[in-house]
Amino acid sequence: MQQNGFTDDHLDMLRELMNIAMGNATASIADLLEAFGKMHIPQILISDMEGLASYIQQTISIDQRNYVTKQLFGGMFSGEFLFVISEESALHLGHHLYDVDNPSDGDILDAVIELTNILSATMISRLTEELNTKVQFFVPSTELINGNALISQEDIMNYHRIIIISTQMEFEHQNINGHIFILTKDGMIESLKALIDRKLEELYA
Amino acid sequence: MKILVVDDSKLARLFLIKTLKELEPGAEILEAENGLIAVELFKTEKPSAVFLDLTMPVMDGYEALKEIIKIDPNAQVVIVSADIQAQAQSTVLESGAKMMIPKPINSEKMLSILQQLSI
Repeated sequence: MQQNGFTDDHLDMLRELMNIAMGNATASIADLLEAFGKMHIPQILISDMEGLASYIQQTISIDQRNYVTKQLFGGMFSGEFLFVISEESALHLGHHLYDVDNPSDGDILDAVIELTNILSATMISRLTEELNTKVQFFVPSTELINGNALISQEDIMNYHRIIIISTQMEFEHQNINGHIFILTKDGMIESLKALIDRKLEELYA
Repeated sequence: MKILVVDDSKLARLFLIKTLKELEPGAEILEAENGLIAVELFKTEKPSAVFLDLTMPVMDGYEALKEIIKIDPNAQVVIVSADIQAQAQSTVLESGAKMMIPKPINSEKMLSILQQLSI
């Protein structure tokens, strides 16, 4: 079966590379939290904007407020890294990291930014290392918004054809979990396919 | 010698099998895409070694490992996983895995594993 030129092998390879990247990221966060994170099977979907909106609606709690951190990355594989963590999970994160009962809004925001920095740097770096390429990271931004606002934001809605790579970060005992989306679009989809083709050629050689 | 390779990713299995075949050309390789199939194959085929992923649908590697060790406490199970957390490693070693190797695996690592296993 093909999705926009991606064969099952392309999708399987991308899922496996994402799994390796997420394994590295989970280990880094586990060190930070001194906790154990549950690994989830990454999901890959090639979609249009309506598909993205529908996917996000199914994945995150759109009725509650979420801290949403966005970070652009560029190179032969470029796109946007999105980390979405509910206000409640972020409170637990702040509580856990600062070891206080009532972390301030500033503490919570700092904790979310720190977590996202580790997640995005570890995941994207490992993913691109496996794809034998490099990327440059841009400054991330974080805001507290509700799920509906995330879907309708203009910058997200700019995408035309999109690859959604998503997974979950879950530290069950700490009540901390968040969703990770890597969005890449249009021309970059072809670049990504070419990078995966190289990996597949190595495998089938 | 029979070796069972368990991973939900077809390509991850293929990569492991390719590496195994280079080092053990005579080995018979069996494949399973989840823990449940792996446990059934382990019962019927009695492989000399099992290469087992952790994050899989239907039955994950943690559960499959426990089931395999119940069947044969001396089973030669190697965990091959992207999960590199220290706690994941201690959990599987306590459950009876012989070793845990981070993905991706290469020929050098595989050679070292095969030399360490009692097969």
